[in-house]
Amino acid sequence: MPKAMTSTRRIKSATGDKIFSLGLLAPAILLTFVFILVPVIDSVIKSFTEYKIKNVISGAPGTWNNFENYIKLFQNDKLMPAIITTFVFVFAVVISQFLIGFILAVILDSKIRGSRFLRSIMMMPWVVPTMISGMVWLWLYQPQYGLLRYLVQVVTGGSVADFAILNNPNTALLGIGIAALWKQVPLTTLLLLAGLQSVPSDMLEAATVDGASALRRFVSIVIPYMMSVIKVTVSMSIIENFKQFPLFWTMTGGGPDGATTTLAILSYREAFVSNDLGSGAAVTTVWMLLMILVVFAYNKIFKAEPMD
Amino acid sequence: MKKHMKLTAAALAAAMAFSMTACSGGTDTASGSQASGTGETGGASQEEYTEEVTLKVANYAILESGYTEFWEGVKAGFEEKYPNVTIEWVTAPYGEITNQVINMAGGGDMVDVIFSELIWIPTFVEAGLAAPAEEMLDADFLADFYPNVLEAHQVDGQTYGVPLYASSCVLYYNKDIFEAAGLDPNTPPTTYDEMLQMAEKIDGMTTADGNKIYAFGVPTASVAVVGSFLNSVVYNYGGTVLTEDGSLAIDDGFKQAFDMIKLLDDKGYNPQNCKPKDLRNLFALGQLAMYYDQSWGFNGVSSINPDAANFTASAMPLKGGDGDGAGTLQSHCFVMVNNGGARAWAAKEFVQYVITPEVLNDYMNNITPAYPVKNDMADCMPELLAPSADATTQAKPVPLVAALNDFNLELCTLAQAVTVSDKDVDTAIADFETSANAILAG
Repeated sequence: MPKAMTSTRRIKSATGDKIFSLGLLAPAILLTFVFILVPVIDSVIKSFTEYKIKNVISGAPGTWNNFENYIKLFQNDKLMPAIITTFVFVFAVVISQFLIGFILAVILDSKIRGSRFLRSIMMMPWVVPTMISGMVWLWLYQPQYGLLRYLVQVVTGGSVADFAILNNPNTALLGIGIAALWKQVPLTTLLLLAGLQSVPSDMLEAATVDGASALRRFVSIVIPYMMSVIKVTVSMSIIENFKQFPLFWTMTGGGPDGATTTLAILSYREAFVSNDLGSGAAVTTVWMLLMILVVFAYNKIFKAEPMD
Repeated sequence: MKKHMKLTAAALAAAMAFSMTACSGGTDTASGSQASGTGETGGASQEEYTEEVTLKVANYAILESGYTEFWEGVKAGFEEKYPNVTIEWVTAPYGEITNQVINMAGGGDMVDVIFSELIWIPTFVEAGLAAPAEEMLDADFLADFYPNVLEAHQVDGQTYGVPLYASSCVLYYNKDIFEAAGLDPNTPPTTYDEMLQMAEKIDGMTTADGNKIYAFGVPTASVAVVGSFLNSVVYNYGGTVLTEDGSLAIDDGFKQAFDMIKLLDDKGYNPQNCKPKDLRNLFALGQLAMYYDQSWGFNGVSSINPDAANFTASAMPLKGGDGDGAGTLQSHCFVMVNNGGARAWAAKEFVQYVITPEVLNDYMNNITPAYPVKNDMADCMPELLAPSADATTQAKPVPLVAALNDFNLELCTLAQAVTVSDKDVDTAIADFETSANAILAG
């Protein structure tokens, strides 16, 4: 009899805990639904309608326009170049960011003198708002009186006096990429450093005793232990760069000659320069689908099994 | 312990839920706004209102240090004259003010007056926010404006922007550089051919600290207002860009204009891919001999180099091809929103208070040089602009099509194609036609 009572009490307690957990989760679920899912669904619906700013003001719903926004996008030769530019940027920046971040993390983890100080200083670019970073780099790159032009002029002994990275359609994306790396590498380094520091030292010591080389220890112990951190860090980097807008808008506005027009810029131009919110929503929908595909593919390829 | 944890968790969840409620905001009970067009129509309100009114004026310039003092003075002066009216500034940076006004209106909070660029008018008209000036202002006040200036602010025959002052793309040049190049500082070029001859003499000159001096500047960077500058160069050549009904109209003058932009780039006379503010910086630092700017751009020059007034002179826009040197008309104007009743009355009084010689004379002469737009302001012409006094009278309006801003960005892309991308002009124009037609088709 007392055994049955204890069991009933346990079931009651478990149910109570579940209800309580659900109650705790409810605000978060509601917030996600109201502020993320509803706007996304609303945006997708609007992408199939003619929806201009007068609709925003009058509150009138958009009118169905037979996929016109998508047809226009695919016909005006702007979508494909924007997709390619976005992918080139994301691919180049994410890989560079990971490599630079990892090297810096390894250096900071090697307990060099002043590493604590370096760690604090290194975080400064991450703290600066992206828009301000864009302005700062714009000034550094300024082709007539910018610091970079001056340095290039000094280094080349005056033979290159008009270096202008953002004015050349072939180098403008590189210029923005450098600014993006400056801004984002600190966070990547910090996350990877945390991952490095969580690698158990006894494993490394055991491997050293067994005669494993530094490279072998790195490949067979450090990397596997860090895999889940690496996966999260790279995912964050992909998303951050896929949706990068302020640096592009501040530094080039999508130019020169469309060389830095990414999906973010195209979406902004359609929605807030042309004031065609339906068309802007169509770009955003394509953009969102591509981002989901990329993140999905990434997660599929880099399955991380947690190390015990 | 478990109980305490549960309590803490519950408190945190409640805080999150509460913050969500707070985010939803409240309704604006103070504004008492009405949708555009619901106010009095058929002429300005003649009624005097004595009740307390809050007038919402959207103004990006209040955030710009060179202009804050002037606008605060306007507020103080107006509120002293109309003690029952309180001006409430609605501010956002230059590039964001249109979205700010539209977003507010979407939430039911209408501003009454917007301090606007001329090229923003189509956006406010399309949004259904802008009210015709004929509906909002006194007829005799409007009758005093120069007809060509008012015409440039019309959509379908109705005036949607009331200019405070105007400009064309005026030519500013550095008299000291002219003198150093052996040119007469009092004889600026009048045609593109003359300019090229002078540029040849300036080419190769450097500043005292060894920086290159560029001969001639036209902005080509991707900023909507730069499209007006490029449009102006086309007008200089007697060309057209858009017909009155808003379709693309590319002719010989258009092609000649972009041939010239390419030539300036090939010769290294024009600093590449610059925004107007970049050209102002270079001019202020003595690194640019001649450049096109809105007249009020000189404020940006003098804020960098207070001595700029000593070496700067203005000249009429250049003539090219069969053109007579006409440029595009540009302005800073008030766009009015009809919120009816006391607010419409206060908006009318505010606009008619500001656009007077008493308020604007000092501003136009000492803060931001600009051309007068009304007969009673004819004496407000600043000395700096006297040599180019006819620039706005011969300027031509740009058709105010709905997609003007995006179309202007496409003009910038065309200019970049023939300069930084080094495409041949015919190919670049063909590409431009495809993308511009898609934009204009909506």
